[in-house]
Amino acid sequence: MARIVAGIGVPHTPTFPSSVAVDDQSDETSRHYAEVARQLDEVGADVLLMFDSDHLNTFFLDNLPTLSIGVAAATSGPNDGTPGLRAVNLDVPEPLAGHVRDVCIEADFDVALTQDFTVDHSVLVPLHYLRPQGDLPLLPVFINGLVPPLPSSVRCWRLGQVVREAVLSWPDDLRVAVIASGSFSLEVGGPHINAGSVFGVPDPVWAERVHGYLASGDFEAIVEHATRAQLAAAGNVGGELLNWIAMAAAIEAGTPTSLQLQPKFGHGYGFWRLDG
Amino acid sequence: MSSYGVNRFCRDCLHDAGLRELAKADPAEALAPYGLTAVESADLIAGEVGQLFQSGSSGFLLSYLTRWQLFGLDVPTYAERMRAAR
Repeated sequence: MARIVAGIGVPHTPTFPSSVAVDDQSDETSRHYAEVARQLDEVGADVLLMFDSDHLNTFFLDNLPTLSIGVAAATSGPNDGTPGLRAVNLDVPEPLAGHVRDVCIEADFDVALTQDFTVDHSVLVPLHYLRPQGDLPLLPVFINGLVPPLPSSVRCWRLGQVVREAVLSWPDDLRVAVIASGSFSLEVGGPHINAGSVFGVPDPVWAERVHGYLASGDFEAIVEHATRAQLAAAGNVGGELLNWIAMAAAIEAGTPTSLQLQPKFGHGYGFWRLDG
Repeated sequence: MSSYGVNRFCRDCLHDAGLRELAKADPAEALAPYGLTAVESADLIAGEVGQLFQSGSSGFLLSYLTRWQLFGLDVPTYAERMRAAR
């Protein structure tokens, strides 16, 4: 039977690959990614299941799913020209992905089917740092975290629970690591950016609160307080926290093995080891 | 609805180097296929991103324009105009 051996939460800042080397101990960002990558190596995962919010590159406003799963033999990217990311082809565990979608549909989640797709930096920046060799199959579960109205935190929590049921009911002996990609508070290109920048952290207090909830394993509080209004106040990509919520539900998260907040970026790096 | 056209144009710029070049050489020609209103076209060509945001266009997508400084939008100019839309 498949097992969930780890939970991971990391950011996907698109400027990092061109400015932050992989495993550079002199750089804070690189150290945080490396600490998560080291633990991922230790748990020996066979598959990476990633909750991700596409940045209008895999999908667009002409046909935008709130929830979708990539069910294909392979994917590739980056499809958004992110500087510093090499072009990669990734296997997708198609039978498992189809099974996860089936279970979600049976549980009344209307998860769109995506069979021919490429991925952007929101998927590939995490992999660039966590698994630069690109040798693990990727099962992407897309949650709309950018375009209002977003799915609710309660719904994403429940989605994570259903994805867990799906993985644990898969008969093959697979070790699955569940990744959440995204920030806690971030504005990109909107009115709450910093002067002289196209980025900003509109609600650093919220990012600190999220960090506190994660550190104490208080996911009930995160789900309760991550209202649509709060996520909007956290920035126009503040909905990426929904990926962390789904991940936490999927792994039945307690307190993390490691957790680092980067306040200046409004994001964090977390690892939950579950194979003990 | 036509804010969709502004969003589409910004997104297409990310994926289409030819469109970016055309937008520099002949902005009106580049925008012609997108079904924009006259006000939207004028605002884009003038780099009035705050106005476009307030009319419903995506700030996230508009910020792509700074990558190639289309319509005079370097990062400081973009930030100043977008922040004024708060």
